[in-house]
Amino acid sequence: MPGFMMSRIAWRNLWRNRRRTGLALTAIGLSVALVLIYDGMLRWESDWLLATTTGPMLGHAQVHAPEWRRTRAMDQTLREVPRLVDALRRDPEIASATPRVYAPALAALGQEGFAVLVLGVDLAEESRPTRLLAGNTTRLTGRRVLMGRLLAAQMGVQPGAVIALVGQGLDGSLANDLFTVAALIETPVDLVNRQTIVMPLDEAQSLFVMSDEAHEIVIYARDPARAAALAARLNGRPDLGRAEVLDWQALAPAMVDLIRLVEVAWVFVLVLVLIAAASGVANTMLMATFERTHEFGMLLALGTAPSHIVRMIVLESLALGVIGALLGTALGGALVAWAHHTGIDYAALTGGGPSQLSVFGMNWSLRIYPRLALIDIARVVIAVMVTSIVASAWPAARAARLQPARALRD
Amino acid sequence: MAWIATRYAARTVGRNLRRTALSVLGIAIGCVLALFMESLNRGRGELFARVGSSSGIGHVRIVPAGWRVRRDQRLRLADWEADAAAARSLPGVAVVTARARAQVLLAVGTHVVPVDVVGVDPAVEARTFRYVQRVQEGRYLRATESGALVVGKTIADRLSAGVDDEVVATAVGSGGDIQSAMFRIVGIVSTGSDDADMSVCQVARGDVERLTGLSGAGEVSLVLDDFRQADAIRLTLAPRLAPGDEALTLPELAPEIQGHFEQDAASARFVSAVILLIVLLGVASAQLAAVLERRREFAVLSAIGMSGARLITLVVQEALMVGAAGALLALALGLPIVWRLARAGLDFRRYLGTSYAFQGVLLDPVIFGDFGMWIVPYVFLVAIGATVGASLYPAWYAARTDPAVALRVAQ
Amino acid sequence: MTGMLRVWASFVVTIAMLAMPMRAAAQPRPPDVDALLARLDDLYRSTSSIARIEIQVTSARSTRSLRLKAWTRGEDESLIVIEAPPREEGTATLRVGANLWNYLPRISRTIRVPPSMMLGSWMGTDFTNDDLVKESSLRKDFEARIDRRSDTPPGWWVRLDVKPGVVGRWARIDTLVSDDLLPIEERHFDRKGRLARTMVFDDIRMLGGRRLPAHLTLTPADTEGQRTEMRYLDAQFDVPIPDDTFSLSRLERSK
Repeated sequence: MPGFMMSRIAWRNLWRNRRRTGLALTAIGLSVALVLIYDGMLRWESDWLLATTTGPMLGHAQVHAPEWRRTRAMDQTLREVPRLVDALRRDPEIASATPRVYAPALAALGQEGFAVLVLGVDLAEESRPTRLLAGNTTRLTGRRVLMGRLLAAQMGVQPGAVIALVGQGLDGSLANDLFTVAALIETPVDLVNRQTIVMPLDEAQSLFVMSDEAHEIVIYARDPARAAALAARLNGRPDLGRAEVLDWQALAPAMVDLIRLVEVAWVFVLVLVLIAAASGVANTMLMATFERTHEFGMLLALGTAPSHIVRMIVLESLALGVIGALLGTALGGALVAWAHHTGIDYAALTGGGPSQLSVFGMNWSLRIYPRLALIDIARVVIAVMVTSIVASAWPAARAARLQPARALRD
Repeated sequence: MAWIATRYAARTVGRNLRRTALSVLGIAIGCVLALFMESLNRGRGELFARVGSSSGIGHVRIVPAGWRVRRDQRLRLADWEADAAAARSLPGVAVVTARARAQVLLAVGTHVVPVDVVGVDPAVEARTFRYVQRVQEGRYLRATESGALVVGKTIADRLSAGVDDEVVATAVGSGGDIQSAMFRIVGIVSTGSDDADMSVCQVARGDVERLTGLSGAGEVSLVLDDFRQADAIRLTLAPRLAPGDEALTLPELAPEIQGHFEQDAASARFVSAVILLIVLLGVASAQLAAVLERRREFAVLSAIGMSGARLITLVVQEALMVGAAGALLALALGLPIVWRLARAGLDFRRYLGTSYAFQGVLLDPVIFGDFGMWIVPYVFLVAIGATVGASLYPAWYAARTDPAVALRVAQ
Repeated sequence: MTGMLRVWASFVVTIAMLAMPMRAAAQPRPPDVDALLARLDDLYRSTSSIARIEIQVTSARSTRSLRLKAWTRGEDESLIVIEAPPREEGTATLRVGANLWNYLPRISRTIRVPPSMMLGSWMGTDFTNDDLVKESSLRKDFEARIDRRSDTPPGWWVRLDVKPGVVGRWARIDTLVSDDLLPIEERHFDRKGRLARTMVFDDIRMLGGRRLPAHLTLTPADTEGQRTEMRYLDAQFDVPIPDDTFSLSRLERSK
């Protein structure tokens, strides 16, 4: 029997028994949808981990004077920072670069002094989404600063309070001045909330007599996955002099560990999920095929070649698998797309658990925006197809080899 | 007449062994998968327990009044010896250790490093703080030893010092005056994490008392046999403590870690649900497929007078038998797997290196499953729940079949 | 912050050095070490003092000069007021017992330094805690012997090795003393035997009735281009100081 006719027969077989077909399609479709939902969550988890660990404080790469990370000494600075930042921004692989000043200081509301860290930043840059001060709308002009919420609680500071800041200028002089706390901030970075006063970069530079210097330049790459290569390339740039450029993995290896642990765990579970789905599909196919032994007997008695029977069965199952998978993809894909658009509150979804998570001194809010890549869909569809073929070919072959009489009796 | 249904069901099951075997196998595989996930989920708590028991945090900690609000290292317990004795007297408490902390400046020549020094009880500390087992050079503190110092590698590097070198430690004494003492580095600990290394700086507790002039311990840390008893033990302990001292549990001591594990547990629940759903789908669809193929059979039974109710009973009883058999097979296959999971655990060390530091807490990235009495009822519940649940629609469908119609159309 | 405590630290060393009695120069015979150490120790003693000092801190990137006036009484009380440069004039530090306050004239604020920063900030200076702990004594803590004669400048190299059980950073100090038993140079070696820093004394003058080196230079061994210098402009010691000198109100009115 020519292949084309076989396909048509197979196709018609499918729709002859609508209930059975419908059942199989439902089972396959739902399984596929579930797997894709899981995949969507897994992808989001990776994306999210990367964004939240690198977004606020770390960036994708950082530039420092060689000894600064080890000593944290005020005088280990990068020079001619505006020129450096400009040059970096013009690099095609760099999306943005922003400088920072880190200055230890003493802060006092009344007479009691508290050890704090003064962070001088480019306020506009750092207030962008996913950055340190994301969502901040306070403008700081004329000696106004932002204070970490926990620090303010410790010091008894309310917005509008005037505090004294005392530190050491780069020229060795005593840097001191009065500042107004414009607002209290809560950032994803615990250190900032607990111990930091944020002021505009030029304000910090002027207070600590730093001319055009800074301690750190944070770089965001266009392609985060290439952060390490970017850092390596930047290290060779002559205009950076002796400054060191490190990517976020080198700067925070513990983060790398955490991300990898989470990924490994999720992938492990993905394997389990796929096995569960595959076994479900296989079971369905096997069951359905075995139940049709009588039908095969009929066909055999009528003179159909056993190999044709096998081929027909396999084609049917394949069609079933593919249609089911496509339906499931449509359903799962739609759900993921919707969830991606609106976001899901993780805590609500999992029935408990926190809606904010504190890790490595950073607070992450758990709102999910799953997404799918083509490979996820391809993977599931191929798995279903393979499973369908295998799960139907074997019993079909068995049945086809039977004596027609025996098969008919079933 | 009731027996007829059962016998028929039994015979049906026996008659079509292949189909039955397939069903049972399908159910068993699904159950084993679900069991595996559940075991992992329950075992997750063990990871949490390990955080308490091996990171030095402890499962329960007795702290002085005011420490909860202002984590001031200079606070001391009202009566640490009585508190420790009270803790030791409770059943279920594995290890009790008292510590005193101080902010100290270590100096070698012109190299200075400010550190948080922990005064410990060397004999007991190793049982609560795994870091000290990773002494890379030299050795750990000995009991009754004085003037000995164990530091993390990062500190030693910054001091430009090594084992057997003498270090001056300076602290602010109780009266606000500056006190100094000499220490000799006897061991250097390397945890693999810079942060963790900076946090390791241990001396005998008596040395901290001498240096700061603050006597007694600032904390008494408990490691329990069963971390789940933490709240119960805290309640029992609270009234027996010296006035002002209070007992805190791990979630209060390390809320960030608590948050992490809560999130982890929540994810696990979600994933379990997904897998369970998929398993149920698989079993249900297979069962449905099987039953739907037997339309003729049911039609015949109906034609010869079997009532709808009895047909339903028939189908359900078949499902029960198959489900039970599936559960038994699942146990046979799954018990060894889960047992091994509980013993050897899921070892992620291959992917992460030998240990993994999280928030300055070192953990072995091995997850152990849970093995307990819960396994048997769980498997039966899943297997039978799935099969009987799946059989309800076809049972109803079978009862509804018009025999004439069914018999007429050859399937 | 560090600057202030540098001032504090350097003040302490300064005052310590002011209390050195005068001795007639002797012939070039090796001095009695015990007496020598006692004398060097007594360089650091005084019941009270008022002095004007000039300090210069040189680092790889900048040089900074200060002129200040310092009052001390016993070991617990001290007041330092900066006289120059004009930008910092009037900045004052008061120490009474365990408490340390800073007064900042520019913002008219008095701030108490938390104990943890007191400790930590000592390290920001080129001076170590040992310099501030009055209990340290060369005579009690070190075994001394004459090492060799020096001809230029004329004097004796004395080697001091720390006695076992002593709390201090220096395992060994090599001191060059002049024939009239004034220090010329000191080399401090850490507990691993490495040279950690060098102190050079010169400009011997009469100050407050005592003859002593008015200029001290401290150079750490492992930091490029780092150096701290002190010069004593004038001093009086063992003088009565009014009680209210060491008070917060005085701090704020200080001049």
